[in-house]
Amino acid sequence: MRSRRQENAVRSFGAGGGGFGPSRRDVLAGSIGAGALLALPDLGMGGRLGARPGKSGRAALRYAFLYGTPDPGPASSGSLVATMCPVPRTASPLAPVPVAIKLAAAPVSSPDLAVTALATVDMVHDGAKITLTLIDATSAAVAQQGSVTVTGVPRDANVLVTPVFAPGSPIVSLVLAITMPVGKRPVRKADPRTGSQATRWATTWASHHVLAYFDQSSGAITGPFHLSGEPPLALSTAAANSSDLLMWTTREPQPGDSAEIRAQASMSRLTVFPLGSGAARLSVQAPAPWPGGEPLVTLPAGDVARLVRGRDVQVCSARTGEVTELRIPAFSRGRAKPSAVTMQARPEGTVFMTKPGAGVAVIADPADSFRMTAQIQFPPPTSPLGAPWSKAVLSLAGDTCYVLGPAATGGLCAYDVGSGKLVGSYSEGRHYAGLYQLPSGTLLAVRPENPRLAFFSSGLSPIGTADTNLYVSAVF
Amino acid sequence: MTGYDTADPIHETYASAHREFGVDPSFWIRYFTPSPAADLFNDDALAESRGAWDSGGPYVGCISAPRQSRLSGSAAEGQADAQAFAAAMLTAYHAVGPLRLPSNGRLYCWLDQEYSTSLSSDYWNAWANYIAEYDFAGLGIYPLYPCLYCNPYSPYPNCSTIAKARGVNVPSAIWSSEPEPCGGPPGPSRWHPQKCGTVPTLLWQYGEQGACSYSSSVDLDLGGPGFVTANYCFHVHSRP
Repeated sequence: MRSRRQENAVRSFGAGGGGFGPSRRDVLAGSIGAGALLALPDLGMGGRLGARPGKSGRAALRYAFLYGTPDPGPASSGSLVATMCPVPRTASPLAPVPVAIKLAAAPVSSPDLAVTALATVDMVHDGAKITLTLIDATSAAVAQQGSVTVTGVPRDANVLVTPVFAPGSPIVSLVLAITMPVGKRPVRKADPRTGSQATRWATTWASHHVLAYFDQSSGAITGPFHLSGEPPLALSTAAANSSDLLMWTTREPQPGDSAEIRAQASMSRLTVFPLGSGAARLSVQAPAPWPGGEPLVTLPAGDVARLVRGRDVQVCSARTGEVTELRIPAFSRGRAKPSAVTMQARPEGTVFMTKPGAGVAVIADPADSFRMTAQIQFPPPTSPLGAPWSKAVLSLAGDTCYVLGPAATGGLCAYDVGSGKLVGSYSEGRHYAGLYQLPSGTLLAVRPENPRLAFFSSGLSPIGTADTNLYVSAVF
Repeated sequence: MTGYDTADPIHETYASAHREFGVDPSFWIRYFTPSPAADLFNDDALAESRGAWDSGGPYVGCISAPRQSRLSGSAAEGQADAQAFAAAMLTAYHAVGPLRLPSNGRLYCWLDQEYSTSLSSDYWNAWANYIAEYDFAGLGIYPLYPCLYCNPYSPYPNCSTIAKARGVNVPSAIWSSEPEPCGGPPGPSRWHPQKCGTVPTLLWQYGEQGACSYSSSVDLDLGGPGFVTANYCFHVHSRP
C-alpha cells in the first residue's frame, strides 16, 4: 500500500481557462474507468474572473465539478471537467477544463463540500491499483492522494469503487466490488434478428467485496480487507458515521439454493464495520429492497436513512441494525413511471427530499419520525427521471425552493417554502435537465446542447452561460 | 395489442387500469432491481404475479431503471447493474412456481435510458454482455436478451452508443418513448415510433400517464408489426 500527500499539484487552466486551475497534463486518469470531471469555480463567492487562486486567494473561490460523458466523440465513458462560473454574458465563453477522465465511479463530495473524492483504477502487473484522489473545492487542486493495490486481480476483472465519507471523521472508506471471470463455456444462443442458433463462448463471473480506508489526517491507507462470506452481488450501498461503516449487500442467488434460502432472497444484509477495520461488529438481515442507488443520509445520531421505492424512508440503527420504515405521505401517490428522488441533510438537522416526477419536494424532521415540516408542489419538469437527478434545490437559507420549470414552458421556478406559493419564474423556452445550487447561492442549470451551462441569481435573473464538451450527468 | 408498464405493483394497479380502459392488458412491464425509485417486482413477485394473472394479462416483461447518472459510467457500473438485474429476475422466477420463461427462450430485458441521460459505451457493453451471457438458474440456458428503452431522437448519446455495439451486445430491440399520440387501447392505427438507425423499434410507449392525463398509474405500450411482446416476457402460467 502506498499513499502520498500532494498540494498545489495543479497549475494553469487549458485554453480559455482564464489562467488558473489544472493543466491538461495534470488530468487524472485510470486505465479501466469511465467517468470524467470538469471543475467550475463559483465566482459568486467573491472571486474575480481571471484571478489566480494561489493559497492566499483560495477563500475567494469555490469550484463545482461536472461529471458526464464527452461530446463529440465515442462517448466511451464519462468525464470530469472544470470551468468558470458564472460567466458574464459580455465575456468570452470560457472552456471547461478537464480534471479527470476514465473515473472508476462517479465522484463523491465530502459532507462539508470541502473536497471531492475521485477514484481511478489501474491494472498493474500484480493486480488492481486503486487510487483515491481528494480534490480541494477551493482550488480544484489535488489535496491528497492515496493508493492501494489489490493483488491477484486479473486484467479482465471489473472493479467498482465507492468512496464513502464519514461525517465527523477524517476516514474515507473505499468500498470495492471486484468481479472476476471464473469460467468460460460454449453456449448456443439464438440470434434475435435471424433466429439462427450460434455457438459462442460465455463468461461466468463472481464478485467479492474489499474494504480500504484512507485517513485524511495522516494520508495513510489501511487495507485492503477482503470480505468473506457468501458470494455477493457487486452492487451495494454504503454510508458511514463518525465511527462505523454501514454496508448493505445482497447475496447472489445460486443454482443449488434450498427453498429456505430462496424464501429469504428478497432480503439484503447489513454489515457494520468499525472505521479502519475489515472485521464486522454486526451483521444482520435487512428488509427489502435490495441496495442499489437509493438516496442515503447519515443522521446526526449516526443512524442512516435510506429513501427506498421513491416513497419510504428506512431508518437503520447503526448500533443494532434495527430498521424502522416510515412512509413519506407526499411521495406515496402511485405513478406509472419512477421519478428521480433525492434526499439531502440540512445543517439544522432536517432533510430536504424531492420527487420531481410527482411534482413535490418536502422538508422533514428525522428527529420526529420524518414528520413533514414543509411541502412544495410544482408541475413536473420535462424529464423527471433522466440525469441529472437534481431537479429541485433549496436555498441556503431554506426559505425558497427552486425547481425546473413545467414541461410546457421549461425554464426555472421559485417557490416560497413557508407558503408553497410560486414567487418567481424564468423561461426563454429552454428546457433544462438538471438544477444545482452552488455554495454562493448561484443556480446552475444544465441542458443537452451548448451552452449547456446556464447560471442564475437567487432572483432567477440570468447571469451567464458557458459551453462544455460534457453531457452533464451530475454536479458535485 | 396494448400492454401496460408501471412503477407500481400490478396488484395495486390493474383494477383502476381496467376501469379506465375497459380491456385486459396483453402484457405488463415491471421494474426490477436496480430501480431505486420504483416499487420492485422482485420484492413481492408472488403478489405481483397473482395481480398479473387476475388482470387478464399474465405476461410480465422486465425493465431496470438504475440511477441514471450511472449510465454515463464505467464497465464496472454496467456489469454490476446487469448482475443485480439478472439476480432479481432469477429471484422472482424462483419465488413464483407458475412464472415461466418465454416458450421461445427469449426474455427481453430492458435498460431504461431516459431522455436526458447519456449512455456510455463502457456501461452499455458491460451491461449487455452480462445479460446476454447469463446462465439462468444454472440451467445451462441463456434466455436473456439485452434491449434498450429510450427516446431515439434525444440529443443525448443513445442510438449512437448502441450502434457501436457488436455481437451479443447489440440490443435485440428498441422500446421507444416517443412520440406520444396518447389515446387508449388498442393504440395508434399507424406504426410510427421513433427509431434508431441500427436496431429495430419493436415496442412503442404511445401513451404516458402524465403527458396523456391517464388517471391510473400505467403507461400504454404497443408491439410492432409482427412482434408479439407477450412472447418475450415471463409467463404466469397459472394463478400462483
